Amino acid sequence: MSDHDHHTNPQPLPAHGPVTRPGESTLGESTAHDRHGTTGHGTTGHGTTGHGDEPHGHESHGGIGTYMMVFLALCGLTTMSFFTYSSAWPWRDQPQVGWAFMMAVSCTKAMLVVLFFMHVLWEANWKYVLTIPAAMMAIFLALMLVPDIGLRTRMVAQERALYMPRQSDVRLMERASDTGLPGGSTAPAH
Amino acid sequence: MTASAISLPHGDGHDHYAHGHDSSGYDSSGHDSHGHGDGHGHVHLQYQPGLPLSRGKLIMWLFLSTEIMFFAALLGSYVVLRFGAPAWPLPHHVHLSEPIGAFNTFVLICSSVTVVLALEAARADKAELAKLWMILTLALGTLFLGVKAYEYSAKFSHGIYPWSPRSRVYEKPDLYYGSAVRARLGEPAMIDRLKALDDTPEGTLSEAQRSGRERLRQIRTMVTNPDQQPFDLAVIADQVMPLASSGGHGHGAGLNDVFPWLRLPAVIPGGNLWASTYFLLTGFHAIHVVVGLIVFAILLLYRLDHRTYGMIENAGLYWHFVDLVWIFLFPLLYLF
Repeated sequence: MSDHDHHTNPQPLPAHGPVTRPGESTLGESTAHDRHGTTGHGTTGHGTTGHGDEPHGHESHGGIGTYMMVFLALCGLTTMSFFTYSSAWPWRDQPQVGWAFMMAVSCTKAMLVVLFFMHVLWEANWKYVLTIPAAMMAIFLALMLVPDIGLRTRMVAQERALYMPRQSDVRLMERASDTGLPGGSTAPAH
Repeated sequence: MTASAISLPHGDGHDHYAHGHDSSGYDSSGHDSHGHGDGHGHVHLQYQPGLPLSRGKLIMWLFLSTEIMFFAALLGSYVVLRFGAPAWPLPHHVHLSEPIGAFNTFVLICSSVTVVLALEAARADKAELAKLWMILTLALGTLFLGVKAYEYSAKFSHGIYPWSPRSRVYEKPDLYYGSAVRARLGEPAMIDRLKALDDTPEGTLSEAQRSGRERLRQIRTMVTNPDQQPFDLAVIADQVMPLASSGGHGHGAGLNDVFPWLRLPAVIPGGNLWASTYFLLTGFHAIHVVVGLIVFAILLLYRLDHRTYGMIENAGLYWHFVDLVWIFLFPLLYLF
């Protein structure tokens, strides 16, 4: 802005108050800022006073009680996903069940954090403009990796297969663990 | 007065607007193209943001949407690599402790709550209270990093590094592994230490060390045995660092654990790719935590009241995002 001299001029302001454009009388907040701005340091300060000056009638935000409920829910959900690790989890032989469960729990937790802690629940519709394209790009990004990276071991050269770690190596080592040393010495205490 | 789309409700406004031909004063949206000629056609326009939020918050959200894509790329690559891999280590193969991970999750959730409480306190102009919550946030973030450092050191002590020259992880118990063990045992310094171990009287060794010494002797003959069978290499690998049997968590009888100076190569099928992804994901997350802590430390220099509300809100948004990433990292890394 090149009009600092304009604003440092101590000339008194006209008494007519803020000017609104037709059809914008609904933005009462902005007129309040305008009034503030003219008495203060001018329009350049709008951006800084805009968010620091007052919480814009955010009083509808959850409050401490809501945050505590969200906190408890997050702790409960963490315990739930940790439960898949415990021996009481009934689907230990089918890890896919646990994975699906944990992802569902994680998405729930993420939604709680975004909606309540990041105040997205109370934001205007710009939230969709910023989050939905980013989320779609993110999903697209991951999906595009599948053909080249995810399926890279479906068809491999014989030479590469020789040096590739395989599940059979895990089983081999487990069998070695059961066998122990050939000399019959004390096997390690597992 | 030139005709303009926007008319002033008060005709006596001219005297105020008459001076300053360059006046873009109340108009940062480029509407001052009209009325330059006569000097009093300037209208009093107000700044009208494109989105109903402050600039700082808009920029923070734009930054966060790039961060979403950044971490989605990392997490997506991890998932795709992990499920495309022919073998992937279980968490206890690579010395990951699920309870520690869950504890760190809890720490980050708590720090998210303290940020929110700091914000609430700042809005209510309780600067002292806000500062207290902020200090608590800083402490919790530091605790998270401390636990992370402890976990990293546990990996390093088992020879699991994200890069190759220091990593002692082999993918499978093959001849290359056998020759690596033999090469390690044949290092001059190693020969001296092994000789010293052999000469140590029985009485000064603990039970685990006695049995370990016996097993080590057998392994030394096995790696040099010309009639070595392929299965022997798996036995050697199991003696050096056993993959804990499924279900059980209590291993630690590996020779590398009994004699930490041995530092023999270990076999973890899929371990190298695991290490690369683990350190990359947690490392980038840890960098974000460090940046967040720096921001909070800077915020502590201010008086945290309604005037700094916007700053706290933006820092909080960033911190919640860091928490969000960990919410996905924890199950993917520790429980999958």
